[in-house]
Amino acid sequence: MSKEVNKNVENGQNTWHQITLENTDRRSALKTITAGLIAGVGIVSTSCAVFSEDQEKETSQLSWDEFFKKNYKIMSDDERIQTVQRLESLYEKKTGNTINISHQGPLDDVLFGYVFNISKCQGYMDCVNACVEENNQDRDSEMKYISIHQIEKGHGFNFEKAEDEFTNEVPLKNHFYIGTQCFHCENPPCVSVCPTEATWKEKDGIVVVDYDWCIGCRYCSASCPYDGRRFNWGQPHVPEEEVNKNQHYLGNRLRKKGVMEKCTFCIQRARVGQNPSCVDACPTGARKFGNLLDPKSEIRWILENKKVFRLKEDLGTEPKFWYYMD
Amino acid sequence: MIFALVSCTSNQEKEHKYHGNFDKIKALEKDSIEYAVKSTDLIENMPLISVETNEVSFFIPERKSKIKAFKCSECHTKSIPELKSKNLTGKKAHDSIKLNHATIEELTCNSCHPSQNLDHLKSNLNAKIDFNQSYKVCAQCHSSEYKDWLGGAHGKRVKGWVNPRISNTCVDCHNPHSPKFESRFPAKLKSRKMEEIR
Repeated sequence: MSKEVNKNVENGQNTWHQITLENTDRRSALKTITAGLIAGVGIVSTSCAVFSEDQEKETSQLSWDEFFKKNYKIMSDDERIQTVQRLESLYEKKTGNTINISHQGPLDDVLFGYVFNISKCQGYMDCVNACVEENNQDRDSEMKYISIHQIEKGHGFNFEKAEDEFTNEVPLKNHFYIGTQCFHCENPPCVSVCPTEATWKEKDGIVVVDYDWCIGCRYCSASCPYDGRRFNWGQPHVPEEEVNKNQHYLGNRLRKKGVMEKCTFCIQRARVGQNPSCVDACPTGARKFGNLLDPKSEIRWILENKKVFRLKEDLGTEPKFWYYMD
Repeated sequence: MIFALVSCTSNQEKEHKYHGNFDKIKALEKDSIEYAVKSTDLIENMPLISVETNEVSFFIPERKSKIKAFKCSECHTKSIPELKSKNLTGKKAHDSIKLNHATIEELTCNSCHPSQNLDHLKSNLNAKIDFNQSYKVCAQCHSSEYKDWLGGAHGKRVKGWVNPRISNTCVDCHNPHSPKFESRFPAKLKSRKMEEIR
């Protein structure tokens, strides 16, 4: 390497160090620069207006801060509280209704797992309904995290021959039912392919998405072997009276056009000790949820005493979602 | 963009790699875990009955308070054979109950309800079984379901997944007189496809 190049590299490092030492990163630098530009525009617009409305100013300030926030994964606790408060007050200003967005982190000594009894599922689809209502999914495109597949007996798990949009009376004679959703893999391919690190696995095993860092490239969706992810092709719409106001930043808060979303084991419920809404809604008890790290939990009993299997085990994705039979 | 990526990766915690789920579970599992939340906080003073066996102990919802017009002896002052001998006419209180459980050779009303004291259930050997422990009646025939229920493979948790375990008892999901789940149309949000069919 020539001296000149070396010098350049050093210079580059110096600049980088200067930036980091002054505690400035790309985001805040950009923010300061653009803030200056906008301030100019702001002065012009305020001078033109007869009187400026404080409300509007506050809203635009909030949206501004929201736009330039960090990835949730690297935020400090304070920053997380701030963004949650911003989102809450933005929603209130927009609709007049209050929502509660949680930023609760993973509980200690918890690794969530899920088991599904294919002998019990009858295809009633109460889980799908409960999921859509709990997680504020787009009503226009009828987005659903859970698919229930109706498969004729005698052909094994032939998903290509499965009926996913069945409207017949259930259970249909000579058919069985198997549900799929995000399996929260221990080795999730969707996480490794994300170019912006907008999706990651939390300490309690839940694979989450930061909707504000997702750029909508859909690599994750392509890499998922289980069809676990859903994309907002249009502006998602939930009627105001149907919005679940009890939300989590990484869970069921309202999404926007062009971002990926998926099952989060109802993170807003799971982290306060509740079952995901699909588990609570299932009338047959085919769905079980619990802590894999608790040897006395029911899920551990099932894994140790029943015949369990997972889908596409050979891929090495290590889903934390098992199936079993009576 | 490069800066953003650099700052992201540098902040990423190095996670220990396990060879599969079971390695991780074995390495991290704990015998007694204290959760900040308890399932009893989620159920709003629901009265509970404890189930104790050698392997497990957990809670089920109390039953008697949910039975309309319990105690039965408040109406049933006389035993069933005595009532039958009187040839009473008029509407019977339990007319709506149609027994749709096994066959009449295997099960009749008297298999579970004693003819003398109706405030209790009874076992095959005529031992008294409290209505709150009706699972003991079911377990006589459905032994594999009972085993799965104790373990947690059969049945359903009430509210949360946290300790202490609160599970539905048999009759919370199954009508004891007609235990099979009915076939019906799937529950769906008003969907385009359903509208097309109509």
